[in-house]
Amino acid sequence: MIDIRNLSHTYPGTRKQPPRAALRNLDLSVREGHFCILSGPNGSGKSTLFRILCGMARPSGGSVEIAGHDLSRDPMAVRRLLGVVFQSPAVDKHLGVGENLAIHARLYGLRGTEAALRREEALEWSDLRNRLGDRVDTLSGGLARQLELAKCLMTRPRVLLLDEPTTGLDPSSRRNFLDVLRRVQRERSMTVLMTTHIFSEAEDADFVAILKDGVLLAEGTPQRLREQLGREVVVISPRDPAALADRLSAELGLTPLRHGDELRLDEVEPAETLALLERILTRYRPEIHSISIKQPALEDVFIHITGGNGIKANGANGGNGS
Amino acid sequence: MGVVISLAWREYTRFIRQPHRVIGSIGQPLLFWLFLGSGFTGSFRPPGMEGVTYLEFFYPGVLMMMLLFASIFSSITIIEDRDQGFLQGVLVAPVPRMAIVLGKVAGGTAIAMLQSLLFLLIAPFVGISLAPASLAMVIPILILTSVGFTSLGFLLAWGMRSTAGFHAVMMIFLMPLWMLSGALFPITHVPGWMHWIMLANPVSHALTLLRLPFHAMPGQVVGDPEFAVSLAVVLAWALGCLYLSMLRVRRVERGVPVSSSN
Repeated sequence: MIDIRNLSHTYPGTRKQPPRAALRNLDLSVREGHFCILSGPNGSGKSTLFRILCGMARPSGGSVEIAGHDLSRDPMAVRRLLGVVFQSPAVDKHLGVGENLAIHARLYGLRGTEAALRREEALEWSDLRNRLGDRVDTLSGGLARQLELAKCLMTRPRVLLLDEPTTGLDPSSRRNFLDVLRRVQRERSMTVLMTTHIFSEAEDADFVAILKDGVLLAEGTPQRLREQLGREVVVISPRDPAALADRLSAELGLTPLRHGDELRLDEVEPAETLALLERILTRYRPEIHSISIKQPALEDVFIHITGGNGIKANGANGGNGS
Repeated sequence: MGVVISLAWREYTRFIRQPHRVIGSIGQPLLFWLFLGSGFTGSFRPPGMEGVTYLEFFYPGVLMMMLLFASIFSSITIIEDRDQGFLQGVLVAPVPRMAIVLGKVAGGTAIAMLQSLLFLLIAPFVGISLAPASLAMVIPILILTSVGFTSLGFLLAWGMRSTAGFHAVMMIFLMPLWMLSGALFPITHVPGWMHWIMLANPVSHALTLLRLPFHAMPGQVVGDPEFAVSLAVVLAWALGCLYLSMLRVRRVERGVPVSSSN
């Protein structure tokens, strides 16, 4: 459904900055009806790819086909089947909920009873039905996001692009948003490409692609990506991560990955994890706050693939596995 | 067409729902007219214009100022739309790029017309007489001029990222267009260099068009050769800016072409 071939994008340089390559010879295909998650650390090229896909930037090279239409040759045909949920709001917050939906309907050529029916359909799952007359800037963050989604669903897109759509939502609103998205996506067998850096959101995706420095580092089903990592990860939370990392590699010949204040050992044979944990614990007990064995989640795959120091452990990464 | 109306409706609705903006946009020109007009009336005696008070002379100039300011506000909303995200939703929608331009311009023009009509309504009460036939001529001229102004503003504001930057453009480019249009003083008694600038200024021609119906009946106005020239200039201005705006909207940010890696 979405075919990205040999896509490159280089931002023009300025007097102070040399040109910067954001995407390098990227190939990626999303099959029809799939829910695909595109992830990667900040600055990996996700947003650039997103801007190209929704036609707001023209790539340096390569091609994008959506539902058989070449994006650069026939942007209008692509726009007709595309729904886009941006990271920042794309509604007029000074107007009412219903007014925004009406404008959006007109932009997609919907009018009269057809527009009204589509509006009902798009609002069915939402909590917005009693808020049609309210101004958008009176909505809570969660409801405002629902409006963005409802607006896009109203035009029945065959392909839906979402750019970190849950940014700024509390965990329950986020869950709610994703549940609705996934349900509608299945019901309509819509093709969805969503960027995110919250890995718990990717666990039930059909396909996950991980991008770094404009290159695709890994792609596959969440299951396959987890298998790539082996079975378990030893996670250590030391008093002094740098010092312990040095000692682990010097004294035990291990190669710990540093991730925020944690050290991770993820290239361990499955049968050896418990023995390793005991060995570390007996030797370095005073240095360690906690140590655990963890079933790999996608986030661990991501940390492994992108080299650990790509992302800092910030508040955004809510859903750590157990 | 539905898209244009719907985008224009949005502009208009937003304006009407902000009473401060409505009051300010009528009050400011009115005060300008009243203070400057009354202040200059005693000393305004240009040769060949005996019997015309400055209040009368300045009236079409103030109408022109209203169109200018309506255009400036409309341009600022372009920058806000981009900043607040509304624009990105419009850009990815399957609408002709010209509809995006026309929606904004039509919205800005509708607002300008509402303001000018209110200002025209008070004309009889402040001693400006305008026959119904002349009024019928003034309105299309105002619409055409407003399209010129708003699309010029569109063209300037489209690439801008901050409203602060637009203020500079407004003060050093848009305001002088109005000041050198013959709104404040007649074009006939200015230094030579300024005369040429004023002749090249499309706003001067718009003002010429606008002034004529105040002094003559439409029949005479249409026969005036000055009218034909000015109409041609204003038409070219409005259509040219609309066309350039469309090209501007169509232009998409582009990556540096790949040279060797392919």
